Amino acid sequence: MTSLGSLAPAFKNAYLNGSGPELAAVLTPIAPSEDPGRLRSFYNFSTAEYLSKDLSYGLFHGKSLKLPKAEQAAWVDIFAAYWEAIGEILRCEDRIPGASVIAVFNAWKKVANALIRGYSGPAGIPAWTLPCLYTVGKYMRTFAINADLEAASQGSAGFGFQDDIAADVEKNANLEEAARVINRMFTLCLSDRAPLEESRKWGIYNMTNLLFKTYFKINSVGLTKNLLRAISASSADLPPPEVFPKSQIVTFEYYVGVIHFLDENYTEAEEHLTYAWKMCHRDATKNRELILTYLIPCHLVTTHTLPTKELLAPFPRLEKLFRPLSNCIRKGDLVGFDQAMSDGEAEFVKRRIYLPLERGRDIALRNLFRKVFLAGGFDEPKEGQSPVRRTRVHVNEFAAALRVGTSTSGRSRIDIDEVECLLSNLIYKGLMKGYIARDRGIIVLSKGGSAFPGTGV
Amino acid sequence: MSNPTTQKADAPEQAPPQAKPQVLEEDDEFEDFPVEDWPQEEAEQTNGSKANDGSEHLWEESWDDDDAAEDFSKQLKEELKKVEASA
Repeated sequence: MTSLGSLAPAFKNAYLNGSGPELAAVLTPIAPSEDPGRLRSFYNFSTAEYLSKDLSYGLFHGKSLKLPKAEQAAWVDIFAAYWEAIGEILRCEDRIPGASVIAVFNAWKKVANALIRGYSGPAGIPAWTLPCLYTVGKYMRTFAINADLEAASQGSAGFGFQDDIAADVEKNANLEEAARVINRMFTLCLSDRAPLEESRKWGIYNMTNLLFKTYFKINSVGLTKNLLRAISASSADLPPPEVFPKSQIVTFEYYVGVIHFLDENYTEAEEHLTYAWKMCHRDATKNRELILTYLIPCHLVTTHTLPTKELLAPFPRLEKLFRPLSNCIRKGDLVGFDQAMSDGEAEFVKRRIYLPLERGRDIALRNLFRKVFLAGGFDEPKEGQSPVRRTRVHVNEFAAALRVGTSTSGRSRIDIDEVECLLSNLIYKGLMKGYIARDRGIIVLSKGGSAFPGTGV
Repeated sequence: MSNPTTQKADAPEQAPPQAKPQVLEEDDEFEDFPVEDWPQEEAEQTNGSKANDGSEHLWEESWDDDDAAEDFSKQLKEELKKVEASA
């Protein structure tokens, strides 16, 4: 009888300690740094023929760990599948001909299925072991992504003239398969009716987050709605979000924010993203940067505010992404704004923030027209009264403002109708208050510091 | 740990060799946090020494009254002459 190496004692200790994270660490497909040979010695300890017997003996022989028979059998099944998967991984590492990431993914999927059976079947693996579900799901997703890449590279090598549409459908075949299995994990957590203390409901946010990431990756953001509906339908039976670890809730709120964002529900998006921003660990630079990538366009749309230097300072990439645009908005520089939009277009489109940023043009325009109003100065003050700003402004003044900064040569005259159209648009959107007196060619702006609501004038 | 497969497991978004170079920076996925939970003091909210106004320095109004209002006024007048001349 060979030994399972360091895996068996690690399993026993985790079980005896009742530690989910320790147990999950045993089920990772990566050897721990203190025992880099663990996977290999585990794989070499048995053969397919004797695997179940060897596992039963290795994991449960002795007096230290006493589990019900069904629970033991479930773990033997899980580790048998794990053993097969490790075999595929080692074949890849050793570059054995025929080894493939696709085979690793298929083998790992069986680990996931064995685990799901262990929870849902008669064995009833206890809920404290839930981190295993997340870990196995997480690596399944990683293997699926790499399997899809492998399939794509083989496809492009073997069938150079493959139909583009077919290629597109199959591009994510493995990841879509992974999504289906993770979805079963999600249901497994959500539908558990055990008392809360020992419920798999505690795994719901981890599984949801994993599915969010997966649906985003396969471009099926619409499917996230089903998850949100399911969660909200059983919200009465779920522990409140505040009692979950912040890592899970911050991730969840980030994705919910982005989902609303993509639906152009910027107010709701802002709410969720702000929550994620405030709770996010301050050293998680990458995640903070991602939250801001969406929170900044939200702020522009909902409150018309811009990020300060202090906010962007730690994020050079965001500084580059948003600074030129912000400067043009603040200055009311439309030409510069259009230039910054077209310079950043590829990046904006890729990050899916083009649409809300484009709305910044209205704010830039508002700022330009506001400067026209300020430049108009004051009417003659009436006896004993403080001066009042000139609230009747000629359309030509706004037209002239639109031409400032544009190169005069070869620039077509700005049509007055067009200016009136821009003005009525701003009035309609509540960015300006007043009316157009067309017959006189003037704009009559609201008096008493409300011509440009919210800006102090 | 220095083998191709586990490396892939570590860095799922690593670009495949045949992909276009820009895919290399396609790392725009929310990362797992290194720790599961943390006290509020370690969260963004209380970042910044002044206890209660941590977030006030993050956003600013979109207009700016200081920047060369005189200049603009002058430019506007010049432009207005041109508009009127061409009208």
